[in-house]
Order: sequence, then structure tokens, then C-alpha cells
Amino acid sequence: MKFIIHRVEDWNLLAQQLVQRLPSNAVLTLSGPLGAGKTTLVQAIARVLGASQNPRSPTFSLVRTYKLANTSPFSTLVHVDAYRLESPSDAITLGFDELAAEDGSLLVIEWPERLGSILNALHKPIVRLTITQDSGSEVRRVDFLMN
Amino acid sequence: MAQMRILGIETSCDETAISILNVSEKSVKVEQDLVSSQIPIHQKYGGVVPEVAARSHVPETVALITQALGKKGMKAFDAIAVTSGPGLATALRVGIEAGRVMAMLSGKPIVGVNHLEGHLASSWLNAENRKRWQYPMLALVVSGGHTELVLMKEACKYRIIGQTRDDAAGEAFDKSAKLMGLPYPGGPQIAKLALEGDVKGFDLPRPMLRDGSFDFSFSGLKTAVRQAWEPWADVRAHGNATLFEQKKRDLAASLQQAIVDVLVTKTISAAKKHKVKGVLLVGGVSANLMLRERLALEIKTQLVGVAFLPSDKLYVTDNAAMIAAAGYWRLKKGEKHDWKKIEAKPEWNL
Repeated sequence: MKFIIHRVEDWNLLAQQLVQRLPSNAVLTLSGPLGAGKTTLVQAIARVLGASQNPRSPTFSLVRTYKLANTSPFSTLVHVDAYRLESPSDAITLGFDELAAEDGSLLVIEWPERLGSILNALHKPIVRLTITQDSGSEVRRVDFLMN
Repeated sequence: MAQMRILGIETSCDETAISILNVSEKSVKVEQDLVSSQIPIHQKYGGVVPEVAARSHVPETVALITQALGKKGMKAFDAIAVTSGPGLATALRVGIEAGRVMAMLSGKPIVGVNHLEGHLASSWLNAENRKRWQYPMLALVVSGGHTELVLMKEACKYRIIGQTRDDAAGEAFDKSAKLMGLPYPGGPQIAKLALEGDVKGFDLPRPMLRDGSFDFSFSGLKTAVRQAWEPWADVRAHGNATLFEQKKRDLAASLQQAIVDVLVTKTISAAKKHKVKGVLLVGGVSANLMLRERLALEIKTQLVGVAFLPSDKLYVTDNAAMIAAAGYWRLKKGEKHDWKKIEAKPEWNL
């Protein structure tokens, strides 16, 4: 599945469609270069799910969590950024197993490549998104992979 | 309370830090200030290495506390201040557990401190700043993880009147540096290159500069820097190394100018609106010389009589002296916490 982002508002449309398709207990991974729009998409998802706060970049803190509206299919949004991790075993630092064990939360992970195969060991449905952008163009292409 | 020595413990993110702060009516003295800086390790790998950081929080905390207490042991302090949040839960717990054990064994009071309040207190560690300490004040907190404007109405009464909606200012420096192929940490690298660069070399956006709010947004700068740098990134491959180096300096200067413009403009207008008597500048990015000088100048020319209160460069990055200082503020108010109940608050808002 593909989605093309032309304008900033398109992130909201993508978030709406995406949320409807997410299985419960889903793990959503976001791949793409610096400045691709990963955190912007997480902010749009948070809006759709009625998060208590507007998500800010979790790069420095590694993890940020947000309570979601009662009407949301998820109780909390857990926003993880693996950007600063150098090895998959760093996930221990994040308290990753603890975060993943929580039921009802939506785990969104930026820079999942840095977690290696740890994600597969979670035994949770993983939705993988990749954001790409041609040089000199503002248009983003978002590819989905559900498994 | 003629004299109080506070043991400060800080493990909220990458650094392990322990301090002993001696506060009396006449003076505030940092007796011990130990930080197990991780920078050399980061440089080796080109990024921060949280695995090393977290693994070492435990042994480092024990080693640094042992070193700080010295032969006096439990007699070296009268109270304990530990960072309870915000931060990474697994990292915060190390410091908190250490603090709890010390409180239990010594029978001395313990207080949980907000990391952000610690940054505010870092300015108070400076004797000149303390002389001019007069509420209400405004603090610009800028670091790798924070970009906040905090209104300090009175002692221990805070309101965040502005903050970043996405990336922190320090993150904007670091990630832009990464896009330009500069080594970690990016902030000092950008500042160094900027010294000989043209601030008008590249036209970068000043996000939300005139939107009327005191909020910031630095996320868009990444895209702008990438697009600005794309045409020049390959210049070196085509043999013009001199042009490549000059463009790099120009982009660094333009980027620093853009970030500083937004930070200073918003701080000044917030200070005017809330009629503050002092402006604090704290956090790791406050080490940036251009930010210090620009803010000092704008306060001098636009806010007559308002004190400029930057923290000493020694205490801008994460440290435990500032945690002990904030702990002192709390203890002075009569606050103390039950060591059995003190816990990590990863999302604690000031």
C-alpha cells in the first residue's frame, strides 16, 4: 500500500486511515531519513487518537508516553526513538521489554532499524511504514507493510 | 538551619552525576561536583551510546557517591536531593534507588527534584546571580532535550509559557550537524564553524518567529538544512574543497543565526509581556557564545534594569550541583519525601 504526501494536511489524512487499519496491540515502525516527517506523523496520529499532549521529539529522552482519549482503541501512545541507539542490545536501556509488555498501548518506533530483530521477538503485529523523498522535492511517499 | 549540606544525585538520562552542596546564610559552595561524562565514548561511535550509559549508571553511581562522601561517610551530608523526573524510567530508577538507600541508612531527609527545576537552580549557583535574584523571572531552558520558557512568579512557583512543539534547540544543532556530516556533538562544531561563516550565506526559516505565541518549532530546520546543503554536499567530490569548506561555514553560521534569532526574540517578548525582573539562561545550549552575547545585548538595550542571569558554563549541562540546589529550595520550604514512596516520574511536568 502507498500514500503520497503533498501538503502538511495530508499527514492527518494518512493518520486517520492508518489508525483504522491498526490491529490492537500493534507496533508501528517509522523509517525514513532525518527530516522525512516521522515525528510529524506521530503528532497527527496522536491528534486522531485524542492524546493528552502534542508529542514532541523523543530523540533525547528516548521514550515519551501519552494518555489517549477513552474513545480511542488504545489506552496510551508510547513514542520511542531509537535514533541514539548504537546496538540492538541498547533496547534494554529503553526498558523496551517493559514497554512492549503493556497491553492496550500503541507502540510507535522511529529508527526501528537500530533495534534489529528485537521487534520480531515481541510476537506482536508489526506495521512498517517507510517514508521516502526525492532530492529537491517536497513530496513524500509512504509505503506500508503489514505482517 | 545555619548550614545545610545536600547530597545531589542525577541519573535522568545519559549522565551520572553526584554532588555535595554546602549552603549557609552567607554562602553557597559546591564542595563536590562529579560527572561521569560519556562524551569520549560517544565520539568514538559518532553518537550517544545509551547502552553504555545505562549499564554504567549503576557502577558509576556507587563509585561517585563513595568518592563524594570520602572518609566522612554518612556525616558528609545533611539531606539528599535526587532527580525524580522527567527522564528515562530505567535511568531515573538507578539514582532514586541510590537515594532511598542513603536516606534509609542515614535517617536523613530526602527530596525528589524535577530535572527542569534543577536547570533553573543552576543559575542560582552563581553568587552574582543570587545578589540580583528577584521574582518574577523568566528562564530560557535550552538543551538537547529541552526548549522551554519558564515563568518563575515566586520561589518554586512555575509556569511553562512556551516550549518546543517538536525538536529541542540542541537537537536542531545536533541533527543539522549530522546532515552536514559533522561529528558529534553537533552544537559546538556548528558554533566553531560559524565563527568564520557568513550568516547570510543561506536563507533558512525562522519558524514561528512572529506567530504571537511563545512556542518554538525546530523540526522544519532539518528539512531546510538538508535542502540547502544538497547542492553543495558533492562540491568536494568535484574537486573544489575550498568552496566546500566555505559553504559549510556559511551554513553553520546561517543555522546558528536562525536558531538564536528565534530563541532571543521570543525570550525578549515574553520577558516584556510578563514584566520580569530577571532573565535566566540555562541548559546545555546556553554554552553557545552567540546566544549568550545576543541575549545579553538585547536585554541591555530592550529591557532596561532587567538582570541577565546565565548559569556558569560549568553547570549548563546535566549535573548534580543544580539538583542539590533545587533540593535546597524545596527543603527550605519544609518539603521532604518519604523514602519508601519516592518514585520515578518519567513524564513529570514542572
